[in-house]
Amino acid sequence: MRRNTLLITAAILLISTAAYAHHSYAATYDTTKQVKIEGILVQFELRNPHAFVTIKSKDKDGVTQRWSVEWAGVSQLDNAGIKKESLKVGDEIAIVGNPSRVPGEYRLLMVNLKRPLDGFSWGTKPGEKVD
Amino acid sequence: MDKAYRLLFIAAAMLISVSAFAQPARPATPPDIAAEWNLQSNEDPGQIGGQGQPALGDYLGIPFNDAGRMRADTSAESIWGTPEYSCRPHTAPHQWRGLGGARILKEQDPLTRDVKVYHVQFMRSLDWPIYMDGRPHPPAWAPHSWTGFSTGEWIGNTLKVTTTHLKDGYLRRGGPQTSDLYSMTDFITRHGDVLTVVTVIDDPIYQDEPYVQSTTYTLDTNATTNTETCNASEFSENGGSDRHHVPHFLPGQNTALTEWLKNEKWIPEAATRGGVKTLYPEYTSTLKGTTKVADLKVPSSKSAVDVNKEIAAQSPHDGQVHVQPVQGNIYMLVADGTNVTVSVGPEGIAVVNTGTAAMSDKLLSAINQLANSAVTPPMPNNCLGANCAGMWGYSSPFINTVINSPSPPKPIRFIMNTSAAPEHVGGNQKLASAGFFPRGGGFGAAVESVGRNASIVAHENVLLHMSAPAGKAPAAPTAAQPTDTFFDELHKLPQYFNGEAVVLYYEPNANTDADSIVYFRHSEVIAAGNIFSTISYPVIDLQNDGSMQGVISGLNHILDLAVAEYRGQGGTWVIPSHGRLSDLADVASYRNMLVMIRDRVQDSIKKGMTLDQVKASRPTMDFDGRYGSDSGSWTTAMFVEAVYKSLKEKQ
Repeated sequence: MRRNTLLITAAILLISTAAYAHHSYAATYDTTKQVKIEGILVQFELRNPHAFVTIKSKDKDGVTQRWSVEWAGVSQLDNAGIKKESLKVGDEIAIVGNPSRVPGEYRLLMVNLKRPLDGFSWGTKPGEKVD
Repeated sequence: MDKAYRLLFIAAAMLISVSAFAQPARPATPPDIAAEWNLQSNEDPGQIGGQGQPALGDYLGIPFNDAGRMRADTSAESIWGTPEYSCRPHTAPHQWRGLGGARILKEQDPLTRDVKVYHVQFMRSLDWPIYMDGRPHPPAWAPHSWTGFSTGEWIGNTLKVTTTHLKDGYLRRGGPQTSDLYSMTDFITRHGDVLTVVTVIDDPIYQDEPYVQSTTYTLDTNATTNTETCNASEFSENGGSDRHHVPHFLPGQNTALTEWLKNEKWIPEAATRGGVKTLYPEYTSTLKGTTKVADLKVPSSKSAVDVNKEIAAQSPHDGQVHVQPVQGNIYMLVADGTNVTVSVGPEGIAVVNTGTAAMSDKLLSAINQLANSAVTPPMPNNCLGANCAGMWGYSSPFINTVINSPSPPKPIRFIMNTSAAPEHVGGNQKLASAGFFPRGGGFGAAVESVGRNASIVAHENVLLHMSAPAGKAPAAPTAAQPTDTFFDELHKLPQYFNGEAVVLYYEPNANTDADSIVYFRHSEVIAAGNIFSTISYPVIDLQNDGSMQGVISGLNHILDLAVAEYRGQGGTWVIPSHGRLSDLADVASYRNMLVMIRDRVQDSIKKGMTLDQVKASRPTMDFDGRYGSDSGSWTTAMFVEAVYKSLKEKQ
């Protein structure tokens, strides 16, 4: 049992290690605010230090923009059941995220994601958050 | 034990003793620091905002000057999302505080077992070598890197590490920045299983005195310092479709700097702005209201870095030519403060720019020496004795490899001018006449009317600036003027030269209307001309159709062409008109600065501010210590005026 406990502890440490951003979230995003965007997924980069989801969505002026949404690290997402097959290019998805602190940037920090077609989601269950 | 054994034992013991005592006395062995070390991060200022996540606007304990504070306030953490920085490792001051622990390895001399080099590795770092063999630091015109160049020496039980040649980066994440002129001194001491690292960061551009931090590690025999690979692709993580987007805040726009204090009400806001006086116990008297900050005296120290000397050393006006090997066939020659790019190879010499006229003799001599040493170096005769085929007679057929003299250097074939600036075309006549470019009459001969001189290649506006219509005096002698011009956005040398393609790209309305860059495609070197300098703001000659946006576009073009070797550094090398050899990250840093200045001035114009008002607002204040000047041919005031007028004209 002790050995198993150590293994679990090691695994958690590994996941934690991979999760911390190389940049400062607090400085990059305004975590007191949330915005919602809906659009078509055009790129899913499942990579370290953080995965990115890119969707094309219209801005407030109705112009289609590429939104770059920063997600968790690979290990953390894998732990939450997110695989590279989880999202497909062309998926219609809705994302709620914290906006960039820099005015005019089309960049978010993922809070939650939903795919209405099949109800797939992330960020709505306990523990599913970018930290 | 009988007598025989006893004697044998004594003899053996004596032998061992003699052997031991016969060794010369060895120096005291320093403590072994080579191990896996576990970070004790309770000293991280980021603790206040959460582990590893320092709060925006937390400058506590930083001896900022006004420039450092302004730079921190206007720098956006989203800069990490730009293609040039997305794989950037933590910069040197933060590495010891970064996640993942530290590994110290030692590289030993196989004979003496002295440590020649320590290698320090972190999870998000490149290898950091610390040379222990007493070698000097490179000259100031050598490139800077994320880890810099480090030498070490033991002082008692403490390893003192001196690091120079560092790229600009950040002191802490979330805002506080460093210039590229800072030096770092680490004092590493092992106490049993505890490693104490005291780091002194001396940045004369952004600090009033060196910033000191200590970090504690503990020995961890079971740890492994992993490396985190960077898989970022060359797309901007900041969204949108402009890969050249540079995130930043205009002065006063970053309104979230005190947001974190809502949960930390016990911290006085004034102290969070940093400054040398806030570091000393005497500062508490200002909080009590018994003393004004302006009247406060503290026993502060000063930077040991002489800024003017450091910048001048990158581009020394010493009447000499210094050779900096770059990559492949390419060398950077620092000729009395002006950089000349030289391709050396079996087909001869190609140079980008020719320095000033006064330096042309020395430059030509240096080029010829380089050609001799690089292409036809004198070689010793390695053919000796029975192993040398053909040595059966009394005379070696290889005798002429010993009785020899260097063959003449290959001639200069091409001169390429990136502009008509006098410091770049001054040596054209001398170098062209010493060169040879076959134009007619067969190779080795020439038709007299077209001459034998090297080809001088440039955009046609360079020729327009250097020549004059019949009957008028030209700005330069005919023999110094370009002989082969182009008008399009690019021009390729007609075939490979020294085994590679060489392409000139026209950069319209940059410093003038006649600027080009030159790309050596196999050596992966770009001669940037006046568009890029590491010692000053770019010269924008409005009289000759230069523009701020043109310079920025030229830098963006360089960034598009250049590829980093790894984690944003190395790879394609960029030779500036003046200053140190650079790479993608250095060009990005310079571009970022110009974009920040452009947007500030543009914003002021939108607000209806006059030129005098803009100058008074000091839109370049956080960069003036690094690139500005109050005297000379290109002052900060002239630069700001050129930026203002350039942007105003665009409206």
